[in-house]
Amino acid sequence: MFNMEIEVKSQNDDELVLIIRDAEIPFVNAIRRSAMMSVPKIAIEDVNIIRNDSSMFNEVLAHRLGLTPLVSSLKHVEGMALADECDCNDFCPKCGVAFSLNAVGPKEVYSKDLISSDSKIKPVYDTIPLVKLKEGEELKIEAVAKLGLGKDHAKWMPTTVCAYKQYPEITFNENVEIDYDCADACPRGILKGDRRSKKIKILDIEDCSMCKSCVRASVNNYINVGYQENNFIFKIETDGSMTPKEVLLKACDELGEKSDKFIKFSEGGNK
Amino acid sequence: MIPIRCVSCGKPVSAYFDEYNQRLEDGEKSKDILEDMGFKRYCCRRMLISHVETWK
Ligand code: SF4
Ligand SMILES: [Zn+2]
Repeated sequence: MFNMEIEVKSQNDDELVLIIRDAEIPFVNAIRRSAMMSVPKIAIEDVNIIRNDSSMFNEVLAHRLGLTPLVSSLKHVEGMALADECDCNDFCPKCGVAFSLNAVGPKEVYSKDLISSDSKIKPVYDTIPLVKLKEGEELKIEAVAKLGLGKDHAKWMPTTVCAYKQYPEITFNENVEIDYDCADACPRGILKGDRRSKKIKILDIEDCSMCKSCVRASVNNYINVGYQENNFIFKIETDGSMTPKEVLLKACDELGEKSDKFIKFSEGGNK
Repeated sequence: MIPIRCVSCGKPVSAYFDEYNQRLEDGEKSKDILEDMGFKRYCCRRMLISHVETWK
């Protein structure tokens, strides 16, 4: 087994960057996939359009409503059932939250005009423009938000960017003459040629995208860019519906549960 | 109308659209606004920069 070390590089409301040491690709990738596909999140699923005089098609409007991120932090959606696992026919308070939207033109309709039946579950942003209404046009909509998984639709993905890269490693060939040109070629400004000490300094190696522009610019192979096989920089960014920390914890739980199921199955316990 | 999310990565860019336009009108540089609002990737940046509002 490996002995994994995790260090938090930076963390705020919607972005978390981790440095994972001594892990393996399949494992880190499993967490990534789990975070994108298996963390339940709430999003508008069914839209009942009673009246839509605007120039926007019903389908387009429904799609826009679906993509509007709703607050889904774990403590708010706890106890809710996934839509297809609930035992009700259509929807019930256990698996859905009702929204209504009524507006009369002239008006630009924003996400803050969505009125939720549950005060805790509401749009993350108030400023998302949904549709425009001209004089005399009317909009009357009922919608139901349901819990779902990212593997079914992108609107249920809590993450926007969820990705890892292997830890970059920049080495210099001391046997050939120093080549300052390679430092100027870096689009991220990571390399800095210092003519006095005859060295190229690396400012922030974690920002290196491993694009190898520097390697290509160097004629005598002075610089080489590689990566460390078992160290990773893992970044989770969310759309604001839940915090990246919650996403990560839930993703690990889900992965653990799946593994348990698999172990039980392969031992013949669950036929 | 501006798409709700960035077409490539899914960041809800539309939430910042009005603010972006307002600040642009006030004479700020597009680059500074985007940097300030935290748009680091070029996929999200192009969503705001290149959007043409045809529905008035
Ligand atoms: S690989 Fe790209 S980002 Fe990294 S140091 Fe070289 S030029 Fe800069
Ligand atoms: Zn983007």
